Amino acid sequence: MRWLALYLRSRRVPIALAAAAGSTTVMWSLWSIFSNEREVGAPMVILTVLLLVAAITATLAGPDDALERTAALSWPPRRAAHLLAALAVVAGLLLATLVTGARFGPAWLVIRDAAGLLGLTALGAVTIGATRSWFLPLGWTLASIVFPLSGVKSSEILTWQSQIPGNKTAAVTAALLGVGGLIAYAVAGPARRAPAEAAL
Amino acid sequence: MSRILGIELRRSAAAGAVLMLLLAGVILLYVAPQRWSPGWMSVVMIQREYLVLLWPLALAVGAWQSRREHRSNVAELFASTARPRAQRMMPTLGALAIAVTCAYLATVAAVVPWIIGTARYLPATAFVIAAVGALAMIAAAWLGLAFGRLLPHVVTAPALAVAGIGLLMVIPVAVRHREWLALIFSPMFGMGQYTDYQTVYGRVSAAQAIWLAALAGAGAVLLASGSWRTRVAALLPAILGASLAIMVIPRDDKFVATPVDPVAQEQVCAEGSPQVCVSRVHSGLLPEAAPVARQALALLAKLPDPPTTVHEDTTTYYPATSPPRQAEVVLMRITVDEHGHLADKAHILHEMVTTLGANTDGCRGTSSSVPVMRAAGYWLLGREPATDDPEEPPEVNAEAVKLWQGLRSLPEKEVAARVSTVRRAAMACEDLGGLLTGRAQ
Repeated sequence: MRWLALYLRSRRVPIALAAAAGSTTVMWSLWSIFSNEREVGAPMVILTVLLLVAAITATLAGPDDALERTAALSWPPRRAAHLLAALAVVAGLLLATLVTGARFGPAWLVIRDAAGLLGLTALGAVTIGATRSWFLPLGWTLASIVFPLSGVKSSEILTWQSQIPGNKTAAVTAALLGVGGLIAYAVAGPARRAPAEAAL
Repeated sequence: MSRILGIELRRSAAAGAVLMLLLAGVILLYVAPQRWSPGWMSVVMIQREYLVLLWPLALAVGAWQSRREHRSNVAELFASTARPRAQRMMPTLGALAIAVTCAYLATVAAVVPWIIGTARYLPATAFVIAAVGALAMIAAAWLGLAFGRLLPHVVTAPALAVAGIGLLMVIPVAVRHREWLALIFSPMFGMGQYTDYQTVYGRVSAAQAIWLAALAGAGAVLLASGSWRTRVAALLPAILGASLAIMVIPRDDKFVATPVDPVAQEQVCAEGSPQVCVSRVHSGLLPEAAPVARQALALLAKLPDPPTTVHEDTTTYYPATSPPRQAEVVLMRITVDEHGHLADKAHILHEMVTTLGANTDGCRGTSSSVPVMRAAGYWLLGREPATDDPEEPPEVNAEAVKLWQGLRSLPEKEVAARVSTVRRAAMACEDLGGLLTGRAQ
């Protein structure tokens, strides 16, 4: 338990959780105040997933990764567990709203987008570093919300975030990104950073 | 100062931001080239519409850049220097402004090779529209810098981008019927083109520029200020700018909902006869349109006193206007394909001849008119009537074929006279039923 507490603190998990919960609350309140419908609109749901994933981004690297790597611990399972827990947090926060007056659903859309975006973020953390890893998920998701395409397979892959929940192509894309990110992050860990950037 | 600016350009997020914004902008433009291929005005307006994505990204760029000091743990060190904060922020503001402006303008430049051969009409308004777009990007980047400094956390930048896109999507709904308000506060509102003749009037651009400059100013003050008192003072330029913009903006539908450029609609004629003219905005397509138009005139020449001139059909639905009805003028509807060339020439010819070159816009056609018109048109084309509308009841075309067969059994001169009667009746919005039948005279 002591190890877990220290680990969570070193990854700034409390503040990330607070940011995630805060974002959910803000989005939930916005919808509750300004809409009479119970089902939250799909763009709003996707944007909320994106926000939560971005909030969790900060926990993907510690203050000193080089030092961390020297520890006599098996990191891969721990890193994988970290990502899976992050998915559970994002999905859990949003699925909890299904019993309230503003439902962020459907559940499958939330899980698909959360898994895909987390995987994409993890891939970013491995390649360009955790602090920059939200670049691609943000740009890609915003574009796919504003200009959703459908019909052709390639355009469904390009805008997988905003496809309807039952779409197979989008599900496969999200699964590939999710699994790819999970494996890459578990095996390689966050990219090493220049010392000047060591403190987040 | 310029040396520091140079260093800042190299060491800040500027270069990365240019690359990212340019990439996003070019991808957006080239995903749907048919939206901007008609001309330069379309390019700059559609580019403004894509601010829906670029504007939030510029906010994120600013917020990301602003975290640098926090990330490097030098806030205290810098606070101990004698240089005032406002002065220290100038190179950063300058570097980001240069970066986002370059990215925005380079995106426009990236489409130049695609349409330079066909686009002709380049009014000063196009430059104003692009300049206001660049100003919107600067305002977003500076505002991002300010917020990034107030809340130096890794999630600030993505959250700001999400808030920005949310704002842009909500504004048009939130203003309800006061569209002029949306036009001020959302730099992308109303930029999707209903017609190729659409424009943004100067006073609207002026109001937008006032608001965006005020917003950029507020961002700069917020970034440079060290105390809460001056931070609150940053509201002042924003409020001033908003009120001034609200005073300047015209609220008439002509300027807000349906801004059409009359100069773009003016007819420009090709050399040679018979005379063929297209609107100024499509004047680059004149060499492609003229042969089709002359072919149509040649087919219509079978009629007694045939039409002699072709003009472009400059009908717009918002506002609902149409060129005047003239017996000697045939209207030609011009659509531009994704490469900027004249789309579907065969269809244009077909359309011009099967309407007998009559402008029937605004007429309420009766059901008996359709087969008559079709039979007459296909007689001119020398083909059996056909339809490409699968929803049309089969009797309509059967009736047209029957009339057409009746025409073929008559002497040519007689048919020409009857078709000419149909044309005159169509232009007068009369019922065409029975005009092709009856005994030969």
